[in-house]
Amino acid sequence: MTAPWIDGDTSAAGLAIAVGCGAAFGAALERAGLGSARKLVGQFYGTDLTVLKVMLSAIVVAMLGAFWLGQLGVLDLARVAVPETWLAPQLVGGVVFGAGMAIAGLCPGTSCVAAASGRGDGLAVMLGMFSGVLVTGLAFAPLRALYEATARGPLTLSAWLGVPYGAVVLAVVAIALAGFGIAERIERPA
Amino acid sequence: MTPRPWRRWLAGAAALAGALAPFAGSPYRRAGAEHATASATATATTTIDVAELVRVVADQEDHVSAVELAGWIRARLPGLRVIDVRSASEFAAYHIPGAEHVPLERLTATRFGADETVVLYSELGVHGAQAWVFLRALGHRRVVFLRNGLHEWLDDVMSPTLPPDAPVEAEAAFARVAELSRWFGGSPRRLTGGPAAAPAAPRRRGC
Repeated sequence: MTAPWIDGDTSAAGLAIAVGCGAAFGAALERAGLGSARKLVGQFYGTDLTVLKVMLSAIVVAMLGAFWLGQLGVLDLARVAVPETWLAPQLVGGVVFGAGMAIAGLCPGTSCVAAASGRGDGLAVMLGMFSGVLVTGLAFAPLRALYEATARGPLTLSAWLGVPYGAVVLAVVAIALAGFGIAERIERPA
Repeated sequence: MTPRPWRRWLAGAAALAGALAPFAGSPYRRAGAEHATASATATATTTIDVAELVRVVADQEDHVSAVELAGWIRARLPGLRVIDVRSASEFAAYHIPGAEHVPLERLTATRFGADETVVLYSELGVHGAQAWVFLRALGHRRVVFLRNGLHEWLDDVMSPTLPPDAPVEAEAAFARVAELSRWFGGSPRRLTGGPAAAPAAPRRRGC
């Protein structure tokens, strides 16, 4: 027996919660109008910064919720998974993702929303996405070295910068509110 | 866009919740004080609770097997950090997938969250065990070392074998390990009888 602090997981309950979160996420994206490629592309022309504002809102709500629910003892943050950081592959992935988003006008989440609301471009982006996943899987052997390079583990801003969680929360809220205000100012009619 | 007053209220609520956050302490339950203690004493001289360490070692809570570690990595155990304490060249030659390179000399200056499970490993386990003592002395509680180091990983996860005369229950265990091994790109093998049945030397990539 090792590591007594590690216990089993409840995968069935976890899956049910994931399905619920996914449905809520999709509904929120649809209500925000993000199933429309025009709205997403407006981002790059400075005419419609809805995506930026939705993302900033989501980050602040999720972060404040996690932080304060942890403080109140409702949520055990030690059991919340933090995705690992792999610097090089994630930088490359970010560039590929950004290029794909600019070309398609949709990202993975919004393409599902677009497809579900009957848009052909959403379906095309989803097909492209799954084709990309398939090709990456088939070509994994030569990609493996990059895939496993520069691992940094589950890195958080707090651990990386060596500052308390509360200070990170304050900084992110300040950045988000400032970003929100700036976005409102630079938005101009199409 | 028409300004809506409730947006100002929401922004104000977010600003207030954010402004109070630095004064609220760590959001991690039970572990906050422990984390602060561990960080504050990272460079200080500390006293080891020998009796506590003896109990942990006697209860075999100090180490992890390679197969168990592989299961944690595959299950994406929240907060898992696998730390390779070997040299940079050894790390570059081969390391456990997802491992970070933190040599012994940098270990005590490295911050580990109280919510994180730290697994230390070296080539054969000795330096990993010593690193375990260092981190325990600094107050980290959720730390274990890989029992026989990277060699155990290579033998039991990357190149597991099943002897020809293995009992039935070993078959089932091997099937589980073999599936885990393939997930990491390993080569599980069932040995056949005869003089050639001795396990082949495991691959030592850069060790």
